[in-house]
Amino acid sequence: MAELTGIYTASHTPVMLNFPDRIPTELRTEIFGAYEAMGRDFEAGRPDALVVLSNDHLHNFFLDNFPALCIGVGESYESPIEHWLKAKRRVFTGDQAFGAYLLQEALKADFDPAFSMEMVLDHGSLTPLELAGLDPDLPIVPILFNCVQPPMPTMRRCYQFGKFLGEAIRRYDGAERVAILATGGISHDIATPRMGMVNREFDERLLQLMEAGDSEAVVAYATNQVHTAGNGAEEIRMWMAAMGAAAGLPFKRAYYRAVSDWYTGIGIGHFGENSLATVGSIDG
Amino acid sequence: MSNWRQMMPTTEAYLLDKVLYELHHKPDDLAAYNEDKAAYLARFRLTPELAEKISSNDVAGLYEAGVNPYLLRAHCIGMRIPEDVSLAALRSLMKEGDDKWLN
Repeated sequence: MAELTGIYTASHTPVMLNFPDRIPTELRTEIFGAYEAMGRDFEAGRPDALVVLSNDHLHNFFLDNFPALCIGVGESYESPIEHWLKAKRRVFTGDQAFGAYLLQEALKADFDPAFSMEMVLDHGSLTPLELAGLDPDLPIVPILFNCVQPPMPTMRRCYQFGKFLGEAIRRYDGAERVAILATGGISHDIATPRMGMVNREFDERLLQLMEAGDSEAVVAYATNQVHTAGNGAEEIRMWMAAMGAAAGLPFKRAYYRAVSDWYTGIGIGHFGENSLATVGSIDG
Repeated sequence: MSNWRQMMPTTEAYLLDKVLYELHHKPDDLAAYNEDKAAYLARFRLTPELAEKISSNDVAGLYEAGVNPYLLRAHCIGMRIPEDVSLAALRSLMKEGDDKWLN
C-alpha cells in the first residue's frame, strides 16, 4: 500500500528556458523561487517514485497515430526531445514495474490507455522537474494526455482517470511513498493571434473553484470556459487528473502570476493537508 | 474565438503538419531543407501554394491553413524566426472581439 506524499500542479513552458530574459530579473527570480519551493516541499515527502502527468507536444506522437492517453513503461526516458530547447540533456530512470502495474490496472478499470516502452520526454515534463531541482534519479512513470490536437479526451474523463489513478497508486505494493506532479496550463495561447495574452480571470476562477473543493464545479468550469483561456489552457486536463487522484484532499495555490512576456499564466499548487506556503499572489 | 482552427484536421493541414514534424524530428531533414528548400518540400504531396507558405516562413498563412499550433511554434523556434516577427504575424490576424476575455 503506497502513501501519496504529495500531489502537485505546476505550469510548464519552454520559454522559461529558451527566453528567460524576456521578463525582468526580479520576476524571473520570484518564479524560479516558487518552483524551488515546490521542489523542497516535494523532497520533504521523501517519495521513492514519481508519477508525472504531462502532455506530449507532438514529438513522440503525430497525427498518424495519436493516443488520448499513454502510460510510460520504459526502463528510462531521455529528455528533452526538442533540438531547440536550451536544457541540459538527461536520462530519467523509469519505474517499469510501476508503469506496467498502472497500465494493467487501468485496463481492468475500463480505461484504454496506450503504452510506450520508449518515449523521449519534452519540455512539458522536463521544465518543472528541472526548475524544482528534483532528484534526477528518482524513478518516474510518465503519463501523457492529449491536450494539443483535437479531438481530445474530455475534462471529465481526465478527472475520472485521475480518480482511478489515485486509487491504484494507494493499492500499489511496489513502492512505499509516491508523489504526483501534474504539469501544464494555466491560461496561455501557443501560435495563435492571442499569443502573449493571458486570461487572468479564468485562472483566478479556476484556482478559486479548486480551493473551494467542489470537483464537479471545477470540471464544469474547465469544460465550458477553457475556450476563453487559450489552447495552452487545454493542459489543465492534467490538473483535472490530479484533482481526481487527490480524492477530496484540499487544494491550495502556492503561486500564481500572469506573465504575458512568457505567454503564460503560471500557477503552482498542491493537494494535501500540509499545503505549500503561498509564495506569490494573483496581482501579476 | 475557439482555441483551435480545426476540430478535426483537414488533409491539407495534415500534410503541412507532416512537413513541420519531420523537419524537426528526422536527423538529417533540417539540414536537407536548409540546403535546398524546394527539393526537400518536393518529397511531400504539397501544392505549390502550401509549399510556399513553409519556404517563405509565412507564419500567419500556416496558422490560417490549420497547422497544429505546437508544430508551428516549434518550427518558429527551430528556424530561429525572431520572436517578435512570429508574434506580429499571428497578431495581424486578430479580429475584433478575439481578445475580449484577455488582458
